[in-house]
Amino acid sequence: MEIYKWLPKTNCKECGKPTCMAFSLDLLQGKVKVDDCPPILKPKYKKQYEKLKEMLGSEEGQQKELRINVDEDLCDGCGICVTVCPVNARYCPPSLSGKAPEYPPEKHQLFQVIGGKCELLNLEHCRRLDSEGRERECHVCETYCPREAIKIEYV
Amino acid sequence: MKRYPCSGCSLLCDDIIVKSDGLFIDKIIGACLKGKERFDQVSAQNRITSPLIRKNNELINVSWEEALAKTVEIIKNSSAPLLYGFSNVTCEAQRAGMDLAREINGFIDSNASICQGKILNKAKSQGINLTTITEIINKGDLIILWGANPAETIPRLLNKVLFSRGKFRMTGREIKTLVIIDPVKTASFRVMGVRDLALIIEPDKDIELIQMLKEECCSADSIPSGGVAGIDKSDLKRLLLHLTGAENGVIILGQGVLQPHADYDLIEELLDLLQLINDRQVKGRISLLLLGGHFNMAGFDHVALSSYGVSGKLQFENKKLVKSEDTIVSKINKENFDCSIIVGTDPISHLPHSLSSKLARKPLILIDNHSSATSRIADVILPTSITGIESSGLVYRIDQVPVELKKILNPPNNIPSDEELLNQLIKKFNGGAK
Ligand code: SF4
Ligand code: SF4
Ligand code: SF4
Ligand code: SF4
Repeated sequence: MEIYKWLPKTNCKECGKPTCMAFSLDLLQGKVKVDDCPPILKPKYKKQYEKLKEMLGSEEGQQKELRINVDEDLCDGCGICVTVCPVNARYCPPSLSGKAPEYPPEKHQLFQVIGGKCELLNLEHCRRLDSEGRERECHVCETYCPREAIKIEYV
Repeated sequence: MKRYPCSGCSLLCDDIIVKSDGLFIDKIIGACLKGKERFDQVSAQNRITSPLIRKNNELINVSWEEALAKTVEIIKNSSAPLLYGFSNVTCEAQRAGMDLAREINGFIDSNASICQGKILNKAKSQGINLTTITEIINKGDLIILWGANPAETIPRLLNKVLFSRGKFRMTGREIKTLVIIDPVKTASFRVMGVRDLALIIEPDKDIELIQMLKEECCSADSIPSGGVAGIDKSDLKRLLLHLTGAENGVIILGQGVLQPHADYDLIEELLDLLQLINDRQVKGRISLLLLGGHFNMAGFDHVALSSYGVSGKLQFENKKLVKSEDTIVSKINKENFDCSIIVGTDPISHLPHSLSSKLARKPLILIDNHSSATSRIADVILPTSITGIESSGLVYRIDQVPVELKKILNPPNNIPSDEELLNQLIKKFNGGAK
């Protein structure tokens, strides 16, 4: 998390978010502006403030949308994303033992391997969006895909 | 929904959901790409669905009667037939192959004997644990990949052994430590986490590493400060700590260690090391898992042991089992055969050229379901159904656990299974007597 690194990281909640991590995600999605964090406007964070401004540039404040891309050409259906995704783990117990989830898929399920390739099913349930106040820094699917087929981005 | 086992590789995942109308397969859920390709073979371009024989140096379609008559003629004219392959067929077919070898006084061996059989026997005789996939899923805490790159060869293995948490624990990946020992950064390295250990070893120096670890086990602090085989001293110490501290560790040996070393020194040293470590283990143990690709690689030994009381290759004379020091490699090398029956494999492209050219010089009967380099030089090709999709039977998984493959579709042209075909051949030689 590039952005998180430059925030005060004090979790003071002045921005109205529970943690700096939560704030950084909203910042990434363009839901808030750097200036919405009162402490960072203080002189002692001047350098970090400038750095953040520079990173976000002109896109600051423009609402962005989460995308998770699964590259069909790279994916070989190993099913690691199916097992590691915490949402899958919660709603499809067989996946905890590395087993393929039931078909048709559960309505919260995010990944399913069909025809030897991974399919992204219900992006709206991804932890990064559907968090109910918890930190939303999840990116294990992207981290562990051995083919580097998964890319999380905001566009 | 009904789940089927996949015969795409030796992991035999038994959770594949297949949607089919009995004639075609329209959806495969849960299988990896390699598994899906296995299902695609049913209607593949290079599928062989009728028997072929070579006439005037050209393969032509013939009737089953003609093809079988030609097969019998080749075998009858031979005094030392060679039967080889058998790791992509069921145990029932392996048994039939052995019985056929007995009827025709042949020598029979499987692909497994080249790399696996010997090590397994040695490990068993030393009392080294062989673990199962289920046990690793539910209890494993240390996974060592040694010369193994399952991300490429057995796609779903890492998912199962490393990422799954099993039924009894609340965490999966977090409590499992992964160590990879390999000379190159393979695709499997990409699943490494911060606590894991990547050891890039200098090529062919595995034995130095093992000897060093053995020494260190016996008398602490014998590691030279510069490390060994390109691996730092501190990393070596961490490796040893992991090995002795794990509750349920497993070393997964891959082709990198199993194949290139015709001499078994390396394996012997490794097994010794395991014994040493297990003696020092306080909490648990380290066990072994051998990776092999073919789906019934492990079965041949089990069948030979239960049917004929020996494991591995079998040599028959006068319809009796006799002792033989030969292996498939020495047999071909010495050209100590006069025809070959190849079942479910492609030795012409897998064996080194010095061997494959010798194999190609003698009459060759191929029993398989698709064309390959071997089919191009075969004298007779007898097609069979695709095991695990068009015919059923027992096979052994990489961890020596038996799995029953199931029939989903009917084979085209009613072609027989490997087992049925081999049994038909046996009848031609013993007139139906058991
Ligand atoms: S106001 Fe700034 S420092 Fe305080 S929690 Fe929010 S982001 Fe963190
Ligand atoms: S980011 Fe996390 S919750 Fe979202 S799809 Fe990936 S693993 Fe699942
Ligand atoms: S982890 Fe990557 S390669 Fe494996 S199934 Fe998911 S997207 Fe495909
Ligand atoms: S890992 Fe092997 S057995 Fe499992 S689905 Fe893939 S090809 Fe089939």
